[in-house]
Amino acid sequence: MKIRRIGAGLAVLAAGTLVLSACSNKPAASPTTSAAATGGTVTVAETNSFSSFNPNTSNGNTDINSKVISYPTRSWFNYTDGSSFAAGNPKVIKDTSFGTYKVDSEDPLVVTYTVNDGVKWSDGEPVDANDLVFSWAVDSGHYNSKDGKVTYFDYAGDTGTLGLTSFPKIGDDGRSITLTYSKPAADWEIALSAEEPAHIVAKNSGLADAKALTDLLKSLADSAPTATAADPKLEAVATFWNTGYDSTTLPSNPDLYVSSGPYIVSNVVENQSVTLVPNKAYVGDNKPKLDSIIMRTIPDSTAAVQALKNGEVDVISPQADADTLTALKAVSNATLHQGDQLAYDHVDLTFNNGGPFDAKTYGGDEAKALKVRQAFLKTIPRQAILDAIVTPLKSDAAVLNSQLFVPAQAAYTDSAKANGSDKYPAEPDVAGAKALLAEAGVTSPTVRILYNIKNPNRVNAYTLIAKSATDAGFTVVDNGDAAWGKRLGDGSYDASIFGWINPGIGVSGVPQIFSSTGGGNYNGYSNPKVDALTSQLIVTLDPAKQVDIEKQIDPFPFADAYGLPLFQSVGIDAVSDRVAGIDVYNPNQAGVWWNVWQWSVKG
Amino acid sequence: MFSYVMRRLGVSLLVLLGASFLVYMLVAVSGDPLAEFRESTKANKDQLIAQRVELLHLDVPAPVRYFIWLGGAVKCVIPGQCDLGSTLAGQPVTTALSTAIPSTLQLVTGATLIAIVVGVAVGIVTALRQYSALDYTVTFVAFLFFSLPVFWVAVLLKEFGAIRFNDFLAHPVISGTAIAAVGVVSALVWPLLLGGSWRRRGITALVAGAVGAGVLYYLGVSEWFLYPGLGPVLVALTGAGIAIGITALLAGLQNRQALYASLTTVVLALIAMYALAPLLEQATLWLIVLLGLAAIGAGVLAGYLFGGYDRRQSMKAAGLTSFLVAGLVLLDRFMQSWPAYVVATRGRPIATIGSQTPNLNGDFWTSGLDFFTHLVLPTTALVLISVASYTRYSRASMLEVMGQDYVRTARAKGLSERVVVTRHAFRNALIPLATVVAFDIGQLLGGAVITENVFSFKGMGALFVTGLTRQDPNPVMGTFLIVGITAVTFNLLADLAYSALDPRVRVKA
Repeated sequence: MKIRRIGAGLAVLAAGTLVLSACSNKPAASPTTSAAATGGTVTVAETNSFSSFNPNTSNGNTDINSKVISYPTRSWFNYTDGSSFAAGNPKVIKDTSFGTYKVDSEDPLVVTYTVNDGVKWSDGEPVDANDLVFSWAVDSGHYNSKDGKVTYFDYAGDTGTLGLTSFPKIGDDGRSITLTYSKPAADWEIALSAEEPAHIVAKNSGLADAKALTDLLKSLADSAPTATAADPKLEAVATFWNTGYDSTTLPSNPDLYVSSGPYIVSNVVENQSVTLVPNKAYVGDNKPKLDSIIMRTIPDSTAAVQALKNGEVDVISPQADADTLTALKAVSNATLHQGDQLAYDHVDLTFNNGGPFDAKTYGGDEAKALKVRQAFLKTIPRQAILDAIVTPLKSDAAVLNSQLFVPAQAAYTDSAKANGSDKYPAEPDVAGAKALLAEAGVTSPTVRILYNIKNPNRVNAYTLIAKSATDAGFTVVDNGDAAWGKRLGDGSYDASIFGWINPGIGVSGVPQIFSSTGGGNYNGYSNPKVDALTSQLIVTLDPAKQVDIEKQIDPFPFADAYGLPLFQSVGIDAVSDRVAGIDVYNPNQAGVWWNVWQWSVKG
Repeated sequence: MFSYVMRRLGVSLLVLLGASFLVYMLVAVSGDPLAEFRESTKANKDQLIAQRVELLHLDVPAPVRYFIWLGGAVKCVIPGQCDLGSTLAGQPVTTALSTAIPSTLQLVTGATLIAIVVGVAVGIVTALRQYSALDYTVTFVAFLFFSLPVFWVAVLLKEFGAIRFNDFLAHPVISGTAIAAVGVVSALVWPLLLGGSWRRRGITALVAGAVGAGVLYYLGVSEWFLYPGLGPVLVALTGAGIAIGITALLAGLQNRQALYASLTTVVLALIAMYALAPLLEQATLWLIVLLGLAAIGAGVLAGYLFGGYDRRQSMKAAGLTSFLVAGLVLLDRFMQSWPAYVVATRGRPIATIGSQTPNLNGDFWTSGLDFFTHLVLPTTALVLISVASYTRYSRASMLEVMGQDYVRTARAKGLSERVVVTRHAFRNALIPLATVVAFDIGQLLGGAVITENVFSFKGMGALFVTGLTRQDPNPVMGTFLIVGITAVTFNLLADLAYSALDPRVRVKA
């Protein structure tokens, strides 16, 4: 196939130089810079794809739906201050431009919520008591029958707190409701949250208007807890609320994305992006500063870092690992924020499985079991685990010394000093452990350790613990399991290594773990004093007193050799230098979105 | 024949059933669907777990769950009754599939076609120049790319093809080092391609090096990368080159009618370039397709009118030339929209993720460029790693054919080498490739799991992987079903095509 002739080839190449003189499209005059300066666009990379305009159902309750819907498109009485975690004082901020709430009485607890006059949804309808009543109906779980035969709203949040209230009293101005609690509830301030607009839900489920929905709710309020059959009208409402908002594209029905917040959804590209633009009807203080916000879905951390570097996205919150961190540090045009996540890893010992840590094994000799537990905990090399897992990501990381507080909270320092955690120093005390075992008269007890074999951090922690415990005379059995979650609480292991995720604000998580009957109490820990304190905690309204009670609880897990906290995980986000308004890492579910109205583009 | 097809289909159905059961079981044992709730300290944890258990029927053992799924899936044979379940987010799997399939096809089709064309062409050329420096170089490079992991290739492509290139566009000054490097590469590559005596190679290297460096220098000073274009002169010259090349391949240069017909189409394209300019301002995809067909028609007509002793050859050559030159005109028009597109993307046109810039709202040309800038990196990555197998298959196949008796006979009876290669050898060398290509087309729908992930494409691969990591069996089964059915179908088609192409193979009934 000697088709090409060398001469021809060279001729073409040579001709090329002459030809190129005519091939650039460069315009004679450079185009004039058009358009006045505008607010600009910020693009945020997120891991998951948008799937529902209702982030409060169990279907729609993914982080991304609440980031895109709750923060930019819902105004509410208060919101969690995402910068307060780094400042050491997690708290909520009140938005008085939306409305106010006040405690009328502490015993019984009575709270009145009032929406300001003139607050509107983006379709022009006012935000009023009907919306508050509907929010209450969903958040309280009031309409689900007690025996579970009838369930309406498939609500993903906690109904425990508002479940203590009865149907609210509606104020004469039509913009306020009053809730009366049957007993004090510690987390009352965060219990009622923004739901979908009542007039939209009413319209799309066959009711005349929001008033009709409120009337329907009122008429069923007394009978619902004991009902045996579902009311067809309320069922239509619930069905619309449960599934009507699920959409991976921009719905043809504009009702579904009505907004009361500073921004409103304007475009959704399935599985790829969501665009938010300013809500023209918004009258509150949190005024939008941008022309648009684009959320783009990028599951891969490396891809997100490179997209940031390429200017395609301005904000990323990837999984923190050493490689991503190295790559991010090399990005010159972005600022990296590092902080502690609300998740922390811990070791728990099992109290009720007839194993080495159970008093029953020693004929009910609690003192003997305690010594064995203490001996095991003393062998845990917490500093070495921290150095292997967290220090590469955060050079000033420290071992966690409290089961109830994290260093981000002001009370941590005091509590960690006084809670007895100093009995278990970060460096293992093998000699001390041997002495305790000898005192207890137990030789080489067998300890089965459960952990997630798929998580390299847990495998690391296990390896270090196993070595140290073996040195002290324990016989360690590796019970690493990919399906570790299914085994929690089944008694087939003596120690477990896993993580808790603290909700950040509120105290209802504490009894979950430490009370004898808590849903997260997998290890059979039971201490009547702790039970009494936790039940007191959840009915305490004053935040300062809540902290006091938590401080009283904190020493018990250490004294009882419950287990040990290990470390807090590290979280990161990175923000392009052209964006202003994102200054610190926010560990709660909202991520960077908590102050979306403060974002702006520099220059 | 009919009973053979029926038997194959029956067996395929059983295979699909067995495989789907196996996949369902594997998904079920691969993890804990409730893992996300286990570490939660939420007060309503038990309620959330109960909701998930009910949604996924976790209260019944996995084999029974499979039959619940199968019960919905078999209804798919009735139109409109298909029930493949829902994802955890509540979206029906059929809807998820209907958006994932186009996305995957968008990503993989172009890459597969390019890989086939390039791979076969390179394979044939290396077979004809067996054991030459070109052959060894191509083999080495092909295997080098074949053995690279795609996520790593993707990271490199993004760094140099997108990030650095966009940085360069902000300050489009080409350094002396870059000019020298391109000159050296050009001086190494051209002699390899053109071959010849050592003296000739030396001259080629010198000229090619100088021209390569010169062209790059010129592109730099004329800011061609910011304001690219071909212009009528380059279209005319490249078009003439194409006309000569195509005629030489399809008809032989001694067929003057074919050559003149092809050259005529180049002139026609140049006229159209100016005549159609106003129409192209309001272009739509259909208009472009129509114009493409018109170009082929005009070429065929030109070939017919020039006539000659073999009209069909002229028509073929002129039609193909016309189509390719029309492509050049199209390219030039796209290049004219490039400056506007660069402004629309804040000066960073080449994208590293996704399939489109959100809210671009451009005309046909801008959105076309957007489509291209998003696909160029993933397509390159896929082509680099998949081209190797095609070059190997076609090289081996071509070498085997070239050693056959009938090729020797064709040479002995005085046919030109061009006719021997294109008519006798090349066509027969393609037969075994039919099987490989059919398999690969069958796998198109499976998506490219890793590529989709690193380039944030939401196709079948992403649907599968997300389902697997979230312990969401329905989308995993949905993708499996589609991929399984296409694989089985295309395997059957490959076998049938083989017997149709090669008379020595017969399907036994």
